[in-house]
Amino acid sequence: MTDQTNDAKQYDKETAIGGDAQVGETMIELRELTKRYPGEETPAVDRVSMEIPKGEIVVFVGPSGCGKTTTLKMINRIIEPTSGSIIIDGEDVTNIDPNHLRRRIGYVIQQIGLFPHITIEGNVGTVPRLLGWDKDRTNARIDELLDIVGLDPSVYRSRYPKELSGGQRQRVGVARALAADPPVLLMDEPFGAIDPITRTRLQNEFLRLQEELQKTIAFVTHDIDEAIKMGDRIAILKEQSHIAQFATPEEILTNPADEFVEDFVGTGATLKRLKLTRVRDIEVVDDALIGRLDEPREDLQKRLNESEWTAMLLLDKDNKPARWLRAPDFRHDRPAAELGLPARAMVEKQATLSDALEEMLVGSAGVAIVVDGRGAFEGILDVDSIITSIQTMRDADAEFYRAAKLIDPADEVA
Amino acid sequence: MSTTLTPPEADVGARDRAIAEDKAADSRAKRAKLVHYYGMPLFLLVVTIALLLYIQGSELDSIETRALATDVQLDRLQQHLLLTGVSTFFVLLLAIPLGIAATRPRVRRYAPIVIGLGNAGQAIPSLGALALLFFLFRTIDWLPSTGTIPVVVSLIAYSFLPILRNTMVGLDQVDANVLEAGRGMGMSNRLVLRRLELPLAVPVILAGVRTALVLNVGTAALAFLFGGGGLGETIQAGFQLNRRPVLIFGAVSVAILALLVDYLAGLVEEFMTPRGL
Repeated sequence: MTDQTNDAKQYDKETAIGGDAQVGETMIELRELTKRYPGEETPAVDRVSMEIPKGEIVVFVGPSGCGKTTTLKMINRIIEPTSGSIIIDGEDVTNIDPNHLRRRIGYVIQQIGLFPHITIEGNVGTVPRLLGWDKDRTNARIDELLDIVGLDPSVYRSRYPKELSGGQRQRVGVARALAADPPVLLMDEPFGAIDPITRTRLQNEFLRLQEELQKTIAFVTHDIDEAIKMGDRIAILKEQSHIAQFATPEEILTNPADEFVEDFVGTGATLKRLKLTRVRDIEVVDDALIGRLDEPREDLQKRLNESEWTAMLLLDKDNKPARWLRAPDFRHDRPAAELGLPARAMVEKQATLSDALEEMLVGSAGVAIVVDGRGAFEGILDVDSIITSIQTMRDADAEFYRAAKLIDPADEVA
Repeated sequence: MSTTLTPPEADVGARDRAIAEDKAADSRAKRAKLVHYYGMPLFLLVVTIALLLYIQGSELDSIETRALATDVQLDRLQQHLLLTGVSTFFVLLLAIPLGIAATRPRVRRYAPIVIGLGNAGQAIPSLGALALLFFLFRTIDWLPSTGTIPVVVSLIAYSFLPILRNTMVGLDQVDANVLEAGRGMGMSNRLVLRRLELPLAVPVILAGVRTALVLNVGTAALAFLFGGGGLGETIQAGFQLNRRPVLIFGAVSVAILALLVDYLAGLVEEFMTPRGL
């Protein structure tokens, strides 16, 4: 049985779609890490060994009580390990001063834990101040970070946490963790306490950020969908943090190591794989019919009538999608900015196909508009292209299973 | 689409009403603030004037005149404030650090015992507590049995527990996630205490201080039992001499003082509570 899965895994590694999993330098290494609480017979975490490659997001996922959070919190020694060691960037940090260690590791927790009596700038500037940065450097860094997480510094710097929404607080939490530019980030269900719509947005934003920052991130969640979306690699943990499978999301979906993983991943693997494929991975229509809000309406009408398109997308002066126009809309005697329907269902390139599909259904236009980080138009994604990509995936899966079957008899002989 | 919208006229009316409501709420809030800041001092001023007018208007015999002489009363007021002030000062000095120490992780599991003792101590009536301490001072030879010192010690003992208890409760109720975030960013335990725990516990600790102050003003009225002076002497004189104006003056002035101290402590509390809470 194990031989079979190993062979299959190897097969998958060679042929996996977009499998860019090359093993790089190790940033965090856990060696036989164990936590035993006094008075308890079985350890909460039992001899976990794991290597987290530099610049990757590794997600710890598992049922509640499996010890994933305890494992995470042993990395910055918020929970002191009973035995075993932690090596970060080649340095054994198991016995160094925990306060100095923690200043080098960004830390985001589910409840965020912003300091309620301190302004946003004070919160974000916490670690730089602990490290003794001078005032100008700290201030410049605070502005930069608030900008990065999409909060206008001039508006939010001097506010207090209670004056912010849940999503905004989470952004501040991320900014605060990034303040001293730590190479390593620990995130404990960072998007767990946020409403689903905001969560999706924050996840996408964070992935975009990570593309630039290339931090090494250990990320805990109980939600397999979030794990598949966020993780470069996923560690599926059983009780006592025993690793059931440590692999790329593709591998886990197509080739679960055992029944436990299979159960945990659940059914609907194809649907889940929609969460793996991102908008940037598939073909986007970039020659759509585009108009400008400030063009004379006669010109717009003429172009729409002459084209094969049934609708035209109007952009504003910042290239942001504004309205959808169809031919009948020109019957109304109104300025272009009030014609047709407002443009909705916008997704960024980091969004998954599942996000895009959801937006399309909500937006009722049957298409999603692809925009960049600033909201400027990039292209159009329609249902057909998503269906095509599902088809491709299923074909690939079928091929994989055929291949796996071929291995089967040989395995039985051995 | 436009048919489902309310006609524009109705909209305008609604907006006007909303603006009017906002304005009304605004002025209500302003009025509440005025009452909040000036109501109590004004009330106390009125009561003080009424008390003085009452004394002026009464025909005082020689005993009453002597008992209510301005310099005598000012003297007693001064003693009273001194007793309250000194005892509160020492209580803060002792009870807050003890409360902090009792909530540190190593001894935390004993915290419920301390809080329980605090609650039990509070249940003893002030007169009883004072009497017990009085006997204690009597039986130990080298301790002074009368004067300021036994009174101050009694007041400290009596107001120790509310401040201790509030310090512990105040520190206990700080959101554990905030502390974990602080530790996770590399703050030392000392820094976590100074920058996070104490500021966030301030409102609760100050509420304890306020209670203790008011308690002390009231209990200091019993200082006459030890020969400690204070406004209680006037009340005592009123009883012994059976002179109603003296009794009333003593009782009302203690009440005014207690209310004034409570009001001032409330202002301090408000001023010292960190913004953002």
